[in-house]
Amino acid sequence: MINEIICIVMVLSGLLFFVGGAIGIIRFPDFYTRMHAAGKGDTMSVFLILMGMAIYQLNDFSLANLLVAGKIFFITIFIMWAGPTSTHALIKAGIDEGQKVWTRKDEKGDPEA
Amino acid sequence: MSAVSDFPDWGDPHSPANSYRLSQGYITDTFPQTSVPNMVTAVLADYRGYDTMFETVVIFTAGIAIIGILRRYGPKDKVIPEQKLYKKEPDLIVETTCRLMIPIIQLFALYVVAHGHHSPGGGFQGGVIFGASFILLALARDLQAAQKWVPESRILKLAGTGIFIYAGFGFLCLLLGSNFLDYAILHKVMGVTPIEARSHSMLGVEIGVAFTVTAIMFSIYSNLASNGYMKEGL
Repeated sequence: MINEIICIVMVLSGLLFFVGGAIGIIRFPDFYTRMHAAGKGDTMSVFLILMGMAIYQLNDFSLANLLVAGKIFFITIFIMWAGPTSTHALIKAGIDEGQKVWTRKDEKGDPEA
Repeated sequence: MSAVSDFPDWGDPHSPANSYRLSQGYITDTFPQTSVPNMVTAVLADYRGYDTMFETVVIFTAGIAIIGILRRYGPKDKVIPEQKLYKKEPDLIVETTCRLMIPIIQLFALYVVAHGHHSPGGGFQGGVIFGASFILLALARDLQAAQKWVPESRILKLAGTGIFIYAGFGFLCLLLGSNFLDYAILHKVMGVTPIEARSHSMLGVEIGVAFTVTAIMFSIYSNLASNGYMKEGL
């Protein structure tokens, strides 16, 4: 019972972070802030959702379920490891390529700039 | 659309595909006949082994065709404008992550290959994961770093070795006096029961498939990324 409540809370808050990331990708003005929203939101929300599922797996405790939960935990570690790195690599590629950083001045001028 | 509505329900146990005695036969007989719990792999590598062997050959042929079409030799011709390549200063974060991650990816690929007859997986999937680890190395460092491990000469040898392993299992069966790819006879050389020999031989041919897929995956990537010169590129 307590497991299920923890699982529901974690999955729902994970979905909240996903929504935040999705809105951020659409609404933010330039490449860097968009990558920031995508990277931060996805890492956190995937962590929360997968950990919630791992906890749900441990509901009826057995060796097989523990194994599944352990595998989910490893997936979580990998995503938390690879996600920020890929965000970093993308932003570095953006700097190398010469993407402009958004400033408040751009807001007053034409929105395409 | 009108034809679609006549389809049986999804997962309907009485649909013709599920009630036909062939699929029932696979479901009930696979484990007693081959000692492999994953009946998909059993069908793929044992009952339909001849088909899968030539699927591997298809991948090999595709790799040869890619090399034949894309590979260029000699100095760069000036007609194609120089690609704008970023200066390759190694990035500490990316490189450290890849250094830690590539061994784990390769270990997982071997797990997928070796576990193919117990759980989803097998030679094709494991080979793709193994090839992807080399592609990650090429992306994180540069093409030369990956080519140190899989140089062009080794690619074709690996791909050929894979098919050789697969076909070798078939010819070994012939030599021992059975049909081509009829693994049960291999218990004579393996020292296990004929049923277990089928299971072990499936692992063997999966390894062969994995060799070919790994080599061809990396070959396709490196040819595409370096414009066929295999010198520089992504």
